[in-house]
Amino acid sequence: MVGSVPGETLAHRLDPRTKLAAQVAFAAAAFANTTPGGLALLTPVALLFLGAARLSPLAVVWAYRFVLPFLAAAVLIEGVTLGPPWLTPAEAVPSLLASYRILLVVVVGAVYVRTTPARESRAAIQRLIPGKPGRMLGAGVGLVFRFLPLLRRELAAVRDAVKARLGDENPVQERMRVVAASGLRRAFARTDRLALAMQARCFSWNATLPKLRFGRLDWVGLAVTVALVVYALA
Amino acid sequence: MLELDSLVHRFGEEPAVDGVSLDIPDGEFLVLCGANGSGKTTLVRHLNALETADEGQVLVNGVDAAENPVVARTTVGMTFQDPRDQFVAATVGADVAFGPENLGLAHEEIDTRIEESLGAVGLEGRETDRIESLSGGEQERLAIAGALAMRPDHLVLDEPFTGLDAPAREAVLARLRELHTAGTGIIVVTHDLRDLVGSVDRVVCLSNGRVVVDAAPEEAVEQLPEFGVRVPASLSE
Repeated sequence: MVGSVPGETLAHRLDPRTKLAAQVAFAAAAFANTTPGGLALLTPVALLFLGAARLSPLAVVWAYRFVLPFLAAAVLIEGVTLGPPWLTPAEAVPSLLASYRILLVVVVGAVYVRTTPARESRAAIQRLIPGKPGRMLGAGVGLVFRFLPLLRRELAAVRDAVKARLGDENPVQERMRVVAASGLRRAFARTDRLALAMQARCFSWNATLPKLRFGRLDWVGLAVTVALVVYALA
Repeated sequence: MLELDSLVHRFGEEPAVDGVSLDIPDGEFLVLCGANGSGKTTLVRHLNALETADEGQVLVNGVDAAENPVVARTTVGMTFQDPRDQFVAATVGADVAFGPENLGLAHEEIDTRIEESLGAVGLEGRETDRIESLSGGEQERLAIAGALAMRPDHLVLDEPFTGLDAPAREAVLARLRELHTAGTGIIVVTHDLRDLVGSVDRVVCLSNGRVVVDAAPEEAVEQLPEFGVRVPASLSE
């Protein structure tokens, strides 16, 4: 879920620039409309995005479950007091809405990540932002999208190695320490290897970018984007 | 032509490569062997300008590799010991395209090279496959395709048979023979010559960073076991 997967869904067929614009517009709309009504309206839109990529909401939430503790913590920090009455639900509501808004943005972001290869993201950014800043940002984003799935695999390998030697019998704190320390070490090693692999194949800031095509379907995407921008500004 | 001239590479005070001089003509099928830690991988990484020499130099077609790494990297294609270290994309086609894209080639040329390189390793029509879905042997062949897409004169393969079963080893070797027949120079880094003896032109063995054997395979096999290199049982007797 944190890497692109080839496919023929509607979302796959969209130009990455359309997807980027729709994503930004959705985030703007979500940040501009933090009322329960506003977020209730954006929820089916997020589900539409998921449908366009044929992704299950539950699968996406599960894949990005590492975000959930942070979102829940924000709500708890606002809603729990250190003395009586201990719980103040009314104060937790704004945090709850803010957390839900972030969840929606993450879900829409997952659609982009799932359906857009790293090189297309790079091409889209370089075409949207001209000159050196675009090249730097495009290559940087491309690298992040290349690196994240590798990092995830490294962490999974560490967890498996820990389990294989009964490390999962240790207390949570100890498990977290081992996974974090080994994971960090492996992440740095993996970064070196990825850098070397790219160097060996002449990594260039001025690489040929894949062709992007703005088709009829993109006009629909653009209409959704405009509607979201209008909603954000309204 | 690849020329290594008195090459020295140290890790700290310890020389991993210790004054190696070697000429590798175009089109040669060479095996670079030796026990673990003998300096093989460090040596070949210099051919691709991935390391900087402490002393000596590497010339690729007469050009100093350290001064012009792009020439080195387009002339010498390299596959790493673990092919997974080499992949920079999620799908087969995108990974093979990575090198030609960096060379700034036109889209039509990139497409031609993808098709040609995948065809050369028997992975034609697999452009949209996820790399994760490939078997170990297929991943090794994809790594070769990624290097071939740069149209190198020489292809360096670091332990290409590690972890492969017999059919996968044979499939990779068959592709290497075809590439060699087509004129590509092949350099295989290994500590196990059993699959290769009948196919190669020359064997160079390293020990403690120095060349201890440089001979035709028939002559070399007698000396190799003492340097920790496995040779076919029938030849070592």
